[in-house]
Amino acid sequence: MSRETLVRARVERGGFALDVELKTEARVAVLFGPSGSGKTTLFETLLGLHAASRPTVQLAGRWLDDPTRGLGTRVEARGLGWVPQEPMLFPHLDVAGNLRFGMPRAGGGGARALADAIEVLELGPLLARRVDQLSGGERSRVALGRALASGPQALLLDEPLASLDLALRARVLPYLLRVRDSLDLPIFYITHDPDEAQLVGEWVAVLDRGRVVACGEPRAVLWSRAVLPLSESLGLENVIEARVRACADGTARVATRSGVELSVPAPAPLAEGESVRLGLPARDVLLAAEAPGRISARNVLMARVVKVEPTEGGALVHVDAGLPLVARLTQEAVHALELAPGRAVYCVIKAHSLRRLA
Amino acid sequence: MSDDALLGMLALTLRVAAVATLLALPPAVALGYWLARHRFRGRALVQALVALPMVLPPVAVGLGLLWLFGRRGPLGPLLEALGIEVIFSWHAAVLAAALVGFPLFARACEQAFAAVDPRYERVARSLGASRLRAFARVTLPLAGRGILYGALLAFARGLGEFGATAIVAGIVPGRTETLALGIWSRIQMGDDAGARALCGASFALALGAMLVAELWLRREAPAAAHAARP
Repeated sequence: MSRETLVRARVERGGFALDVELKTEARVAVLFGPSGSGKTTLFETLLGLHAASRPTVQLAGRWLDDPTRGLGTRVEARGLGWVPQEPMLFPHLDVAGNLRFGMPRAGGGGARALADAIEVLELGPLLARRVDQLSGGERSRVALGRALASGPQALLLDEPLASLDLALRARVLPYLLRVRDSLDLPIFYITHDPDEAQLVGEWVAVLDRGRVVACGEPRAVLWSRAVLPLSESLGLENVIEARVRACADGTARVATRSGVELSVPAPAPLAEGESVRLGLPARDVLLAAEAPGRISARNVLMARVVKVEPTEGGALVHVDAGLPLVARLTQEAVHALELAPGRAVYCVIKAHSLRRLA
Repeated sequence: MSDDALLGMLALTLRVAAVATLLALPPAVALGYWLARHRFRGRALVQALVALPMVLPPVAVGLGLLWLFGRRGPLGPLLEALGIEVIFSWHAAVLAAALVGFPLFARACEQAFAAVDPRYERVARSLGASRLRAFARVTLPLAGRGILYGALLAFARGLGEFGATAIVAGIVPGRTETLALGIWSRIQMGDDAGARALCGASFALALGAMLVAELWLRREAPAAAHAARP
């Protein structure tokens, strides 16, 4: 089955106009942009809440709206699992009641969908709880579970982590990734966080002031010159996925899939084999022309310069250190090290510059 | 005045107010929901019109009903064909009580629905619930206490209804004589003791109803705040 998603929409609301055309085959598509860029309005369009503006919507291979054929699908018939930015759990129902709300739509598959949701999101212990007895992270999980238990054809997640503090994000993100990896569902994911956009998506569309300004593979798009001012203002950094090899004395050795080993601080011990996602700001990546001698920084990687991109007040140097990394340097440093594509360098990274995201 | 007569009046008063409240419930809920969810030109006018039965002289409301449901009124032939006698029956008292209680009821419903975040309804629909099911399973329960508060207000208002009732229902002992009408006829007859007794009964009834409403409102507060939270 073709998974093509095609959206053409012009929605005017008050002084704001959304005018987008999107096309992707990605299973996990991220809509990235600052607040007020039209991400949520776009979601509302996918949900059928702006039918009056006659959008064209084909979602993961299913035609929902096509004005040229007079096709329009009502909100309740679109088969979407929507998790709004606020969890919006029904306060008069307990957790089980919330989870079961959408089950009738799933028909015969409802019990299975519910059981899957409870298992993947570890909701079993929460079932009898009242909604106001849940913590922020638990609410998010229940809202996600409620959407999953309705047997959706696609998931629409609107900033599922935005209302959580950093510590909670790190707890909820793994559940999101588990849903992504264990259920074969198309996912549309709104975020203004470049870390999430790089971690979650296989494709990203960047929205700014109601328009799509770029789309494609997340890393390439977010680090591209056109998008950089926007993505940097929202906290763009290197994102590294790795697995724990060993952990001792408050430091963990982790290895990326490509086999690059890194030392990261581990205030709480990490289990061997556990997967971790790390954020690393580009300004915290040092480049050295020669191998540094004894140095406190725990990570020194041999690398090759891929691209030097001048930016305002400096340059971004893309290197291949066994994993793709970007370093932010001054122009002066670029000249002093004679950095150019193909040049061999050493990447120096303090363990403490690696921040655990999840 | 016999105890039987007092009990009869009490029962009739309760029955009239209760049936009137039930009668006003569907339109009050429908109108309250509509006003809470739609912003349109002329909304203030609709709200003002809805409030009219509460602020007009009750006697004028009664005359209006008399004209509407009377034999020569626009609904007269229809009612006659159906064999329904409205004027000067307890049905008329119900109509009068429903009409004067309606503004309070509808306004309470509007506020109850306005306090329910409309996004709950959208989430419900995105999960496959039709408009009707989303309303019945989510919005209505969340607004339920506010609606019941409105019902209690309308009920309490119906208990004391006099002006409009006297016009359309008349004062027929045993048939349309509610407590309020009873007090009036006792005064007319010079039966001060009887009037005082009926006043006492009215007082107890009204106090009871309002007390229940206030206690209900207090109980409601935390749940409504929760429901309204974005």
